Parts: sequence; structure tokens; C-alpha cells
Amino acid sequence: MSATAARRPRRTGRPGARNARAAAGFVLPFLALFALCYLAPVCYAVWTSLRRTARTGPLGLGTERDVFAGLANYAQALADDRFLTGFGRVLLFGVVQIPLMTALATALALLLESAAARWVTFFRSAFFLPYGVPGVIASILWGFLYVPGLSPLVRIAQAVGWNVDFLSRGSVLWSVANIVTWQFTGYTMLVLIAQLKSVPGELYEAARIDGAGAWQVARYVKLPMLRPALVLTTVFSIIGTLQLFAEPMVLRPLASSIDSGYTPNLHAYSEAFVGNNQHRAAAEAVLLALVACAASFGFLRLVGGRGKEHG
Amino acid sequence: MTPADTPRGGVRRRTVLGGAAAAAAGLALAGCGSADDGAPRERKKGQRITLTFWSWVPGIDRPVDLWNRNHPEVQVRVEKVSAVNGEQYAKMHAAIKAGNPPDLGQIEFPVIPSFLLDGGLRDLAPLGAARHRDAFFAWQWRQSVFGSGIYAIPQASGPMGLFVRQDLFDRWGIPVPRTWDAYEAAAKEVRRHGAWIETFAPTNGNRFAGLAWQAGAKWYATHGDTWVVHLDDAPTRRVADYWEGLVRRKLVKTVPDRRDAWYKDIQTGAIPAWVGASWGDALLAGNAPGTKGKWRAAPLPQWQPGDRAYANWGGSTTAVFAKASYPKDALDFALWLNTDPQSIALLLQGGYGFPSAKTGYATSALDADKDFFGGQPYSRVFADAGAHVDTDWQWGPGVDTLFQRLGDAFTDALAGGTSFRSVLTQVQRQTVADLRDKGLKAESGT
Repeated sequence: MSATAARRPRRTGRPGARNARAAAGFVLPFLALFALCYLAPVCYAVWTSLRRTARTGPLGLGTERDVFAGLANYAQALADDRFLTGFGRVLLFGVVQIPLMTALATALALLLESAAARWVTFFRSAFFLPYGVPGVIASILWGFLYVPGLSPLVRIAQAVGWNVDFLSRGSVLWSVANIVTWQFTGYTMLVLIAQLKSVPGELYEAARIDGAGAWQVARYVKLPMLRPALVLTTVFSIIGTLQLFAEPMVLRPLASSIDSGYTPNLHAYSEAFVGNNQHRAAAEAVLLALVACAASFGFLRLVGGRGKEHG
Repeated sequence: MTPADTPRGGVRRRTVLGGAAAAAAGLALAGCGSADDGAPRERKKGQRITLTFWSWVPGIDRPVDLWNRNHPEVQVRVEKVSAVNGEQYAKMHAAIKAGNPPDLGQIEFPVIPSFLLDGGLRDLAPLGAARHRDAFFAWQWRQSVFGSGIYAIPQASGPMGLFVRQDLFDRWGIPVPRTWDAYEAAAKEVRRHGAWIETFAPTNGNRFAGLAWQAGAKWYATHGDTWVVHLDDAPTRRVADYWEGLVRRKLVKTVPDRRDAWYKDIQTGAIPAWVGASWGDALLAGNAPGTKGKWRAAPLPQWQPGDRAYANWGGSTTAVFAKASYPKDALDFALWLNTDPQSIALLLQGGYGFPSAKTGYATSALDADKDFFGGQPYSRVFADAGAHVDTDWQWGPGVDTLFQRLGDAFTDALAGGTSFRSVLTQVQRQTVADLRDKGLKAESGT
């Protein structure tokens, strides 16, 4: 929604009052929408998270009103085992899935950008295509491939004597990981390719003249050049992982192993729309946003520090 | 599937606060829109009004069309809502909070108290609803009576029963079970023939409640000003132990019911029985047309041989929202919809369940899917069950949350091996805490 517009907000203004006024004119529509669709809801969520519903009357069925609750909603959210378990689950998911997907995307990007690559445009589009499929649709598609009784994959596996269950408690997280990997590898790959394209050709030429083979060019020239893009895609992946929602939500009715708090986002959703407790849900959403911020900036700091050693 | 996750899925990787923003966007929407003070009005003679009605009942448009033809001044517009995973109620609660709910809504028995909590329903007693009490089965009428208030007009119930593939049971030489002991024996026999008698879906709290209801449980009661929650009582433990035994010995599946995998099993005979409810006739006939003529309905198995203890699964009402501008006209429509013989006839054709009205239909009209059941007048099974439902059962506020808690705990129990009894202890504790969180007085029953 607002997020696409949110990319690269500044850098429009240049010195000079005339330009500044023109810049303001261009930025204003964005700022207005940004405030309306982004800042206002965030503020409202924080406000909601600090309140609770008080009830009076016989059996509490009389009147209700919202009163200030301090941090009670946050305390309750943090005392909720299921909510915390959800965080643990997406952490495990991220530790396994993000490196795997990044490695896969890097390999694909290097292959497509290597001198020996053929049909580059076709493969690039083909790998990128799943990103164009909305997460819900992708989950429904994969859901059909996971459900025993309908899935041809399960039938084939059983025919060769492998009794596989993609939706059991132990395996369903990796079934979700598979959907996410299928969807986002191509996207990550494309970001990496864009970075490779921006590497000046002379660098490769120089490496070749120095006697580097294709493998050495990839290892010692391309990979280091990819670093900023890898950092960027990893941050995207960390945030996306913390916000996992559509896949478990869609698979949930198909599998008896996904509970209502499978991921933190799903927990907040259930709290708001099943439990009808928007206050707690808002607190959980704010906590989730804080964790996403901490994880992203923590990661940036981590790689930033190491980058200085090299530079 | 849900409107909420479509945009979020798309932008996921690009926004830091997306989760909070998306959650908050819904709340922000809920914040605006109180242009109308919502004071009820009396319709002037000759004035034309339009009432909106949120429902998901198949074929509901037909009786509504009939009403509209005969009542040019009070037009009713049906807006279909999704009934998947309780989405319709999420939408109604959000609309109440936003101050712009429809005039009328389809609301099931278990969730009526939840709507009373946010003051969403109009008390129909001052409008003279009590005069019509005798037109309906007493226990169903009582489902929407709290204190001196009447909050909805009952539409249909779902007396429970057992659906079986008679042809398969006959071929395998298994008698249709009359007791739960016999049902367990039948489960073993069915298993020997490579099929599974049933599925115990961990997330189906509604049916589990029905089974506990049959065993004599009373999950909610009121004591003065306090809600008493008693999920962990002897009858419910009995039911939990029984199903745990079936699950642990792998005599039943644990896939979700009424979902793709289950429908497939129903179509192929891999699951030849279903502990369901009266509205299951249309469901089976519609989703397993290839098994036409092979199904029969039987009474729910009993704990004591010869008993007639039954329960209800589902059942719903037509409610008038508190903000409805013309509550009197809305009530008139709700009463007409659920008692008028022509309306009931049309609703029965659509397969809406078992009428809450005592009269106004021929018993034969209840056997809408007679051919599917090999000519059996199967509605008699459910009529008898309906007549013997334990009518002391009461629902309380926050049943949606209770079902979710139960589903989560059973999911854990199936995966981790904790006992079903500990599920009851845990959910009882959580439910009391949930009610207190909502600002209610609540305590555990003993």
C-alpha cells in the first residue's frame, strides 16, 4: 500500500529557495498520503495498545468504554507462551530459510550473469515469475500439492514407498519455508543481478588480464561487489520472515498442526478478529514492529562493523 | 481468502511496520464513520425504507425476494458475508465498533453473548417480541434471552446425528452403532477394512461442545453477577477421554473436517461415517454427489444403552443490530422470515437447517435430500434428536475465543502427547482469564 511509495522519500531538494518550493510541491502529496496511510495508523495502533475495555452492568452486559491501561496489554502479550513461541518459530525459520534462499539466489544470479549463460532473459523472467503471484494464491496452490488425498506429490511419494506428510507438526514449517523460497528467490536474484550489472566492465577485464578464471572472477570480484545488495535482501528477508502471515493463514484450515498463534502476526490477527481484543492485538503488532526494527538494525550493525575491517 | 491478508501478502517484504500498519489500518477504518447518531426512528406511513441484512445462508435471497415483492415500503437488501472461520463475526464486530453495522444479521447461538458484550444487538423485548415466543421451540427461543432482554429471533437449529455409508457398513458386516461402545467397536472394524470411521478435527470446538452437551456438560452458567465457566467437568472429561482413546489408538484420523481432504475421503468412502448435524444433509449431498443413495442418518450414539440424550451443533438466529434505524420494521421482517410458511419452504429448499418455528411446514419438506439418503425419511431422526436436546445448555461470552483456545490446545495435544484432560484444565483456566480480561466477573466452576 503505502510501502511502495515509501521508498526513497528524500533527496529531492537541492540548494536554492526556488527549488526548495518546487521540491515541497512534489513531496507534499507523498507526505500527505504517508501521514494518512502510515503514520496515523501506527499512532492509532500505539494509542489502542495502551487502552482496555471496561464493562459495567449485570454480567458485564451493560455498557462498555475504553479506559487507559498503561502497559498492561504489553505485559499480557509478553506473558503469553503462544505468542513467544511464535517468535521462536519465525526465528528458527529465518535462521534456516534466509541463508538457504540467499545462497540459492546468489548462485542463480552468478549463473545468469556468467559469460557462458544462455537464454538469460527467459530464465531471468522464469525465476522471477513466482514473485508476481500473490502470497495467498501461492499458498493455495502449494496447499493443493501438500494435502494428502489430493496431492499428486504425496501420491507419487507413496507409490515409491515414502510415507510423507507435508502438513505434520514437524514438517509444516518447512512446507511454509518452501512456499516462501519459491516466491522470493527470484526477487532476491533480480536485486543481485541489478547490482552485478552496475559493476564496471573494466573490473572483469582487469581480472581476466591478471589471469583469473570464471570461478575466480565470481569468487574474488563478483561476490565482494554483491555485498551491499546481499545486505539489503537479507534485511528484506528478516522483516518478511517476522511478518509471516499469509502462508500459515491459508494452510491452517488444511493442516491440524498450525495453531492460532503459529506466527506473531497470526497471533495478533487471531487476537483482533477472533478474540475481538483489538487492544491486545495492537500491543502485539507494536511489539512485532519493534522486534523487526531491532533485528534489521542489529543485522545492519553486525555487517557494517565487519565491513570496516575489510575496507 | 480473507480480505485482510491479500494486501499484506503482497507488500510483506518491503515494509518494516507493515504488520502494525495493516493491523492499524483496520482499526483506523473502524474509527471513522459515526455520521449518524443512530437513534431509532418510527417509519412514517407510506415512507419507503431499505434495510440491510448480512447473511451467508444458502438461498436466503429467495425468501427475501418474496418479502420485497409483498412489502414495497420496507425493502430488504441481502449482503452476503463469508462464513469461513468466523469471518462474518469479525466483520460484524468491526462494523459495530465503527458505528455502521447493518440493520439485521445472521448470528449463531454460541456467539450471541459475544455480541451483547459490545452492546451490538438491540433488545427486542420493548418492541413486543415476547408475544411471539410460543411460535418457536422453547429452548431455541431461550438461546437469545438474557435477563429480561430478547436479543434475536431463532431461525434454525442443528440437532446432532450420525451419518453412515450404509452400503459399506453392510458389506463389512458392521451394525450401525447405537452406543459409544459400539461406535468404538465399529471404528476398529472399519480400520480393519483400510478405512477410518471418522476424523477428530482438533480445531472443531463446536462439535466437541456438542458432544460434551450430549454427555450432560454445562460449560457456562451465571451466578449472580458472575459468569461461571465449567469446561473441566465430569461429562466433558468423559468425552475427552473417549476421543483421546480413539486418537491414540489410531482409530480415527485427525484431519480437519469439511475441508478438501475430508471431502475427498467422504467421496471415496475412506471415511464412511460422520457425527454431524441435521444441516449435514445438504452438505453431504452437495459435496459427495457420487455417493447418492448410499448414506443413511442414524441417531447419535448414546453413553447408556436406550438413552435419548441429544445435543445441538450450530443453529442460528436473525438479530437486529443496536444501531438499526427502524428496529420495529427489522423485527417484523425477522419474525416473518422465520415463521411464514412460504418463507420456511424456500429456506428449507436452500438447506438452512431445522426450523426453529414449531409450525408452518410439512414434515416431508424437511427431507429435502431424501433421494440422497436412499429414500429414508431421515428428518425424523433429527426431529427426535431435537425434541430430546438437553435444553439447560447455555452459551457465554467469548465462545469464539474458547473454541480457538480449545483448537490450539488439542493441536498441541495431538503433536506433543499431552493428555486431553490437561486440555480441559488449561482451556478452563484461560477462559476464566479471558473473561476477566474483557472486564467481566468470572470464576471456575467446581
